[in-house]
Amino acid sequence: MQSEVVVETRSLTKVYRDFWGRQKVRALKALDLEVRRGEIFGLLGPNGSGKTTTIKLLLGLLFPTSGEPLVFGRPATDVRKNERIGYLAEESYLYKFLNAVETLDFYGRLFNLPKPVRRQRTHDLIEQVGLGWAKQRQLKEYSKGMTRRIGLAQALINDPELLLLDEPTAGLDPIGIREMKDMILSLRDEGKTILMCSHRLDDVQDVCDRIAILHQGELKEMGRVDSLLKVREVTEIHATGLSDAAREEIKQVIERHNGELVSLGNPTATLEELFVKIIRESEAHPGRRFRATPEPETAEPETPEHQMLERQMLERQVLERQVLERQMPEHQTPEH
Amino acid sequence: MYTSLTDVPPLSQWLAWALFSWLLVVLCLAAAGVLIGWLVATLRGGPVSATRATLRALADAALDLTHISPRRTAALTGLTIKESIRRRVVVVFAVFVLILLFAGWFLDPGSTDPARLYLSVVLTTTSYLMLLLALFLSALSLPADIKNRTLHTVVTKPVRRSEIVLGRILGFAAVGTCLLAVMGVISYAFVVRGLTHTHELTTADLQPVEGAAADRPHALEGRTSQVHRHRHKVTVNSSGVGRVETEQGHWHELSTQGSGDRVTYRLGPPQGMLLARVPIYGKLRFKNSTGQDLEKGISVGDEWTYRSYIEGATLASAIWTFSGIREKDFPEGLPVELTIEVFRTHKGEIEKGVPGSLSVRNPRSGRMVEVRLFPAKKFATDVQFIPRVLETPEGRKGDLFQDMVSDGQVEIWLRCAAAQQYFGAAQADLYLRARDAPFWLNFAKSYLGIWLQMLLVIGFGVMFSTFLSGPIAMLATAGALLGGMYSEFLGELAHHKVIGGGPVESMIRMVGQQNVVSELEPGLRTTAAQMTDKVLEVGLGVVSAILPDFGRFSFPDPEGRLAVATGFDIAPDVLIQCVLHALGFMVPLVVAGYFFLKKRELSQ
Repeated sequence: MQSEVVVETRSLTKVYRDFWGRQKVRALKALDLEVRRGEIFGLLGPNGSGKTTTIKLLLGLLFPTSGEPLVFGRPATDVRKNERIGYLAEESYLYKFLNAVETLDFYGRLFNLPKPVRRQRTHDLIEQVGLGWAKQRQLKEYSKGMTRRIGLAQALINDPELLLLDEPTAGLDPIGIREMKDMILSLRDEGKTILMCSHRLDDVQDVCDRIAILHQGELKEMGRVDSLLKVREVTEIHATGLSDAAREEIKQVIERHNGELVSLGNPTATLEELFVKIIRESEAHPGRRFRATPEPETAEPETPEHQMLERQMLERQVLERQVLERQMPEHQTPEH
Repeated sequence: MYTSLTDVPPLSQWLAWALFSWLLVVLCLAAAGVLIGWLVATLRGGPVSATRATLRALADAALDLTHISPRRTAALTGLTIKESIRRRVVVVFAVFVLILLFAGWFLDPGSTDPARLYLSVVLTTTSYLMLLLALFLSALSLPADIKNRTLHTVVTKPVRRSEIVLGRILGFAAVGTCLLAVMGVISYAFVVRGLTHTHELTTADLQPVEGAAADRPHALEGRTSQVHRHRHKVTVNSSGVGRVETEQGHWHELSTQGSGDRVTYRLGPPQGMLLARVPIYGKLRFKNSTGQDLEKGISVGDEWTYRSYIEGATLASAIWTFSGIREKDFPEGLPVELTIEVFRTHKGEIEKGVPGSLSVRNPRSGRMVEVRLFPAKKFATDVQFIPRVLETPEGRKGDLFQDMVSDGQVEIWLRCAAAQQYFGAAQADLYLRARDAPFWLNFAKSYLGIWLQMLLVIGFGVMFSTFLSGPIAMLATAGALLGGMYSEFLGELAHHKVIGGGPVESMIRMVGQQNVVSELEPGLRTTAAQMTDKVLEVGLGVVSAILPDFGRFSFPDPEGRLAVATGFDIAPDVLIQCVLHALGFMVPLVVAGYFFLKKRELSQ
């Protein structure tokens, strides 16, 4: 069952002309794109490939030279489509002399939200993006991460069906990036459609369902992330509770089926996961210092096998904990 | 359009015609706009797509302009107000107070007409400051938003461009209104305080009236102390009731306390200084020295042709015909006020005024009664009175209304009595002082005029700022303001009524150091210049017809000075016409701003 097409561009072309009408830059060349409901779509490409141009064309901030940008089946310049979308720009273009509450209230009024709804949503969103402690401060005092967060809040004020994010993780620290990615994923789980453009490949890989790669205004590749990145010839197995003997047996099974063992060992967690875990722990328990895991002071001589077993056990514990953390809500790391 | 303030047609008559001509102009402008838009679109993409795009733009416009949400507009208005406050508009306020304090130092309340002086200063200062404020606020705000892209976030919400334009205009209007109200209150206090004074009168100042008649025993007369460079003559009768003569346009109330040797006199504050007279004007016509009817009198060589003259000791007369004169409005007679000019061809009796006469005539029966012989006062308003009971030439007593007024019409004839002297008269120079309106109301009306001017500047400023950058929008708005103030002159330029030719020809004259009346050398250059001028003049004509006449919002009196300052009431009809005039401009400005903003690519 194909879900509904939320965003569509048909032969979308944008040529920047100078004052005399001469061509300066062909920013987009006949782009054909489709974004379906409920997916996270990533627009990738190097700087100047037309990603931001596409988003601005879909928002009506730019007018196409030819072709049609359509959102919810309506042309992009129709202001009524804006009722159902939210936009987070790369730099949050918000009024610096308002504070967080006033900002959200202002944009809420622009959606014709009645006062009690506005007040409730403002309160909820400020808590959700973690700005409760700074909500009375003027936006001009905010750091970049805070500005991005209030920007995300205003993009969500109308509970939109479609979110357009322009470089959502640009300029954020790793914790911020993780939180942004988690937020995007949870929004998708609520049923929203997200179109984001980025040139941070790892972020896109973590989050997007489908991607399109642009270069010099042309579409070079489009498809589902998992199918695009799948390395078809190699099989990956993750298993726990395997003894050495079991591993040997698996090796033999592979050889028996004429397969080639590429690698067998313990997978590596990403540095991001480790970093985020350590910082979260530090926030939960400030003051604790790093202590190297003490080698057990036993009289028993350490055999290499023994050491390897120990290490494996520790690594397994780390992995388990990470799996658990990812499933559990924030700030509830299980105590050991 | 009415030609002078004395010929204001009643509102009902004016309204239909004005509405019709407004619709006509707006439709022409709209058609021109659509045509230009279509042409530009055709150049870009061919006629078919241009037509489609134009029709879609019109359909969008119809939707966007009628579906303006009050809540969204109110949100944008609130934002604009907050932004203006952040911009520290109250600085204007401080500047205003400073200027007033400074002016208070220098303004001389002892001058001949201090009320006019003070009121002119206050009104001019307020009006210039408010216009400057409106200019800066309105022209710089939108371009700044577009440049820092804060408008992007707003535009990606379901906000119509019309709401953005309207919200901004309303926001600036609200800020301006608050400031204007405060400035108005302060101005009023400043004027009243500056003009307030009193004099002292002691028994030593009074002497018995010389040659006191039998019916006025023990009357005293004297002069008050000198304050603000003038004194008043005072007459006190035996019962202590006193009368203070008018001096410099005002008088004071006199109260007596005590009696006998311990009498003290107190004078109250000035009365009659701050006035709002409601004049009833008549239609003026002339008769020349042989009694023939004329439209205008003769010219004595004055460049300002506002007044024309009648010769003394001849049949030459200036005749005002009044209509709608009812007995119940003037039960005691007609209070007449004159501000005529006097032109002497010989010195005559230089200390006394040139004598003139006022007569009343019944326009139907032709009966004429001479009412008064009086010395004409130059540079001052002469107050006369035509009493109810008139002495006819036959020696009988007649009644003004029964004998002289027919169907509400009556004529008043002015003649000069001295040979070879001339009286100059314009239609507004003789009027009936029907009643006085409250001064504070008149003051408030003049502030309404300033408010309307401010509104127009805001409208032009926001409209220009939708497609021009900040400083250029300011220049364009200032240009519109100046063009509007001199729209009459621009119109004259456009219709070849100005000696010396159009812009290019004037340049040639300036560079060639020729005066305006000399002939230019015939040749290619002159012809080319004159042809260019013809084209430019068309443009000037269009511009002068389109731009609002800013001068009318200061409510000038018939001679061109501020009516509030010279003490004339601003007629409600004139006020309503001005309000409608302003609104008639605001609507197309909002629509134009909407179109310019919508067709603009907001992202660079």
